Parts: sequence; C-alpha cells; structure tokens
Amino acid sequence: MTPLRIAGVGVCASGMPTWAAARAILRGESPWQPTEPGKIDVPLLPVTERRRTNQVSRYAISAAVEAIADFPQARVPELASVFAAADGDGQVLASMLQALADDAASMSPTLFHNSVFNAPAGYWSIASRSRGASITVSAGEASFAAGLLEAAIEVSTGSRAVLLVAADLPFPPELASFGVTGEAFACALLLLGEGSDGTHGTIEVSLRANAAAVSDAEDRVSVAAHFAGNSAAAALPLLACVARATAAASSLPYLDDGCVEIAYRP
Amino acid sequence: MNFSPLPIVASTLANAAGIGWTQVRASMRNGVSGLRRNDFEPAAGLATWIGRVEGIERCPLPGSWAHFDCRNHRLALLALEQDGFASAVAGACRRHGRDRVGVFMGTSTSGILATELAFRAGERAALTPDFYRYRHSMYAVTEFVRTVLDTHGVAATVSTACSSSAKVFAQAARAIAAGVCDAAVVGGVDSLALSTLYGFNALALLSHEPCRPFDADRDGISIGEAAGFALLERSREAPVDLLGYGESCDAHHMSSPHPEGAGAAAAMRAALDCAALVPDDIDYINLHGTASRANDTTEDLAVASIFTRRSLAGSTKGWTGHALGAAGITEALVCAMALEDGWIPGTLNCRNVDPQIRSHIALEPSNLAPRHALSNSFGFGGNNCSLVLGRAP
Repeated sequence: MTPLRIAGVGVCASGMPTWAAARAILRGESPWQPTEPGKIDVPLLPVTERRRTNQVSRYAISAAVEAIADFPQARVPELASVFAAADGDGQVLASMLQALADDAASMSPTLFHNSVFNAPAGYWSIASRSRGASITVSAGEASFAAGLLEAAIEVSTGSRAVLLVAADLPFPPELASFGVTGEAFACALLLLGEGSDGTHGTIEVSLRANAAAVSDAEDRVSVAAHFAGNSAAAALPLLACVARATAAASSLPYLDDGCVEIAYRP
Repeated sequence: MNFSPLPIVASTLANAAGIGWTQVRASMRNGVSGLRRNDFEPAAGLATWIGRVEGIERCPLPGSWAHFDCRNHRLALLALEQDGFASAVAGACRRHGRDRVGVFMGTSTSGILATELAFRAGERAALTPDFYRYRHSMYAVTEFVRTVLDTHGVAATVSTACSSSAKVFAQAARAIAAGVCDAAVVGGVDSLALSTLYGFNALALLSHEPCRPFDADRDGISIGEAAGFALLERSREAPVDLLGYGESCDAHHMSSPHPEGAGAAAAMRAALDCAALVPDDIDYINLHGTASRANDTTEDLAVASIFTRRSLAGSTKGWTGHALGAAGITEALVCAMALEDGWIPGTLNCRNVDPQIRSHIALEPSNLAPRHALSNSFGFGGNNCSLVLGRAP
C-alpha cells in the first residue's frame, strides 16, 4: 500500500497529557507517573456541546487537536477521519445501564446520544467543523491495528489526508467484572499520501496472515505495561519509533494468527 | 481513484418483513408491513410500534457457539442460514483462500441487551470478561460472523450509529481496491434493546402508530431489528453491482440533522461522483426516511437540492421499521431487489405526503424498471453515507 507520511502526532493519556510529554517518556528522558483522570477541556466545542461531551470524546478530541496543529486550517473541513476503539465510554455505559435498571422511562437524552460508539467522531466533527468522511472501527484488542489498516487503505485508494484517532478508557468500578482495564489512552496521527511532507517520518503498513507479531519493539517500551488492556495503547511501539526518530520494523498483533507490519523511517 | 463496479454475488436478510428473500419479497410485493404494537416484553411499557423478528427467543445458538448466545447473534445466524449465503461465502473462500475474504459488520449496539437484562436482574456475576467479549463488545458480531463463516481475512466492526451498515460497503470496496482482500462479506445486525427503545423515547422520537415516512401527520419512528449480509467479490458477474459510495459528516449536532440537510446532500453528491453518474441517472432513491419530523424534512431538502422529480423516492421503513445499524444494508438490499426484479416499492403507511416535501415520493409501487438506485443512511454524530447500485449491463 501507499506509504503514509506522518504529518502530526497527538497524545492524551494518563501521565502523558501531550505528545511532547509522551515523546520525552518514550525517549527515556523523563519517568512516567499516572495522573488522575480530571476533566479535559475541549475549547473548540461550542459551550452547550462542551458541557455534554463524554470523557472518551474529550481524550480523543484533545489528541486530535494536537495532531492537526500544523495542518492548514483551510483543509480541515474536508479532512477524513478514522476512529478506532475496542470499548468506548464505560462510564456512559454504566450510567445508562443503571438508568435502565432504575427508571428506564426517565433516561436522559444526552446520555443516550453520548452512548453511541461514534460519539468521539461526532463531537470531533462538530469541534473541528470537519465534514469529511468519518468511520469508527472496532476489532477488540486489534482495534488500533484495524484503524491503522483502514487509514492506510483510505490513503491508498485516493484520500489525501486521514486523521487516525484511537481512544479507550478503563471501565468504571460498576463494570469492573468485564475486565476492561489499563490506564486511559488516546492518540492521533495525521497521515498523508505520497508527495506530502511527513515531518514525523513515514510508515508502510501491510497485513500479514499467519505471521505472528514480533514483540521486540514493544519490549523496549516499558511504559506500555501500565496501559495493558487498553486497545488504543497498542500504538505505543509505533509512537516510540517516532519519538526516537529511528528506522524500525515492528508489528501489531491482528486477528487470528495474523499481524499488521509497520516499517518506520524518520 | 476510479471506482470499478463491484458485483454483489450473494445476499440474505432477516427483518420484520420476513426471514430470507422469499418472505421479504412477498411482503414487499404485497404491501404487508412487518410492524406490530410493541410487545417486546422488557420494554412493553412503551406505547409504540416495533419491527420485531418472530421466533428469535426460541432459537438459542448451538453448543459450539453457545458462548456467543445473545439476541443479536441469533438474529445474525437466522439470516446467515437463508438464501444459500454461507455456501456462497464458502465458494469465495475456495476461490481466493480464507485469508483473502474480509468481513465488515455494522452495528450500533451489538449484544447490549444481554448486559441490560443481567444488570436489571441484579445478575452482575454473569458479567464476566468472556460475556463482554463474545456477546456485548462492538467486535463481538464480527467475531461471530467470522466464526460461523470460517473466514480469516481483514475484518472490523463499523459503528457509526444508523449509517454503520452502509459504511461497510465503502470500507469493503476500498479494501478490495487496495488489494487487502479479494472478496468481502458486508453486513449489519442490530436487535431490539432497552437502551435504544428508551433512548429514542427520551428523545421523543417514537411513533405511537406504525411509522409513516413523509406523511403530513408522521409522528416518529418505529424501531426495528434486522440482519443483512452481502458478498462482494471482484471479477465476478452478478445481477447488481455496487457503483459508488459517498460519505460525509454534518458537523452540526449529535442527534439532530443539519437543518438544510447539507451533510446528507454532500454524501449523495459524493456517491454520484464516485459512480460517475448525474442525478437524472438515478431512477430510485431509497430514502433514510425514518418518519421523524426532522429527518424527513431535512432529507427532502437535501434530495430536492440535487434531484429532479424524475427520480422516484421512497422509504421502506413502513415494512421493516428503523433497524438502526442494520438499516443501511437492509435498504441497500431493497435497492438490489428493485434493480433485479424491475420494480420500485412505494412508501408504505404514507397516505398524504407532507405538502412541504418537494421530492417525488413514490406512494404506490411502480413497474418502471430501474437501472440505477441510490440508498441513503444517516446516523447520530451527523454521520452520513449514500450508496449507488446499478443493474449489471
């Protein structure tokens, strides 16, 4: 498939509120410390929407805003997006389940529209005024790999720019038995096609059936252990390559026994 | 990139209008609605009409798939067992290899009903990681379909609310064009759930009678449940081809459409461009047509801004109800039926077209054999997708 130029990176995660913070940690220049999940501001959104936005959307938008900081504002309205997540917003789910159990007829309409899996993409398009094509994909633990593959396919079939956003949060205590764990993590990559400038390097993405993922890249990212169980954090080995600006081949576990191979060059 | 027509080599569906093509065709031809007064027991307090598929409760999944058992997967299997669909997929696997056949499934709520019922009954102990993975999670439906069909290629669930299973056609077409797979199963499954019934109730969008799309007196939607599947395969011949797709966002509001239908119009224009067709080439438009006041008004503004009255437009939700994440494929397949059989369905339950509506609403069925059809699907988050299908030359 067409090589992807990485023109922007954004991170919003526990202990890594920005790409700059994540980059320093991934380069081994500063230690990682978890942060309490406070309310993340999303100043781009109109006030009414800002008040209603759910937490996973805040993480996703925060990363997305950072990733497109250097992208020409005039091109944002046409920017396509791919959102990837395994689980969505567990707090919204828990609140909705409780409302249905307690008094279903008085469920809040905002709670319902925040429960759609594409809520982050919806709020993002409102915040950025982007009317480009937007898809939200899910593939369990392979959700980030599936999103990256979708973005690569879109660029290979004619999209000039795709914003990939991956975001997942641990589920709240009410749903702890589902075992959706790992610190909060969201990241965004602005990916352009050939002929564009990729200030953060270039990746080539390919799907390999019947080829197990190699884990050596992951082993070098010790911080990944804190995010185990968060599908979006599967991006960490790739982000580590970008942070270190060193050429590397890595691969992500995909469905069955396959993997998604990523060849990175700065 | 120029879009090459992509043959729809097999399809199947199950919804309130019937299980499998023979029943659905008969209901469509005879103008028989599948809607009924709400008798979905866990939500029977809601005075509305629903599109319920008969008998799901009596069809638990067989033993080897028991860990997947939930209403959504029962409905999926019910459809997969019709119309020789599974054997058509097996044929594609033989031709290309199992790892070259993709699966892209649209759903808005997956198997959430299972969790809702367990939560309500205080049976929290049932809510294990496996319960979540195999019944409730967004990927569960895709994992189930891949398991049943034994495919090993590229796969993902698409969840963009009510446009989900229209988007899968675009996604599969791109994956085939990029050489990631040679054939793809696309589908959509959404089943009745408390969160959607009570959620649309909270938005005051549920109809108190069988939904009446584009009628002056329409008062809301009838929620339905449905499963539908299509097999897209390159370099084959089939009666109907996917000719193009268009996708857009409203960038306006989470649960209300853009007041002028700007996003919807952008999706339709993009689909026409992708198919290299002009508006007057479209003989039949299967409208999203939910029968909510806002959807039908804004969708009409969008349609009338592009199409003349030459193009007949209708909503088939009077037969099926609004199947949410399964609406896209259900209605794409209705378009395929219209193209293959050579007739255009009317708009069931619409008696007096709202005088504000400028599109040419087909009230009655027509024997004008369509060559090209367009299907609209719009979802929460302002997510829009239009598909263009054509009778093979």
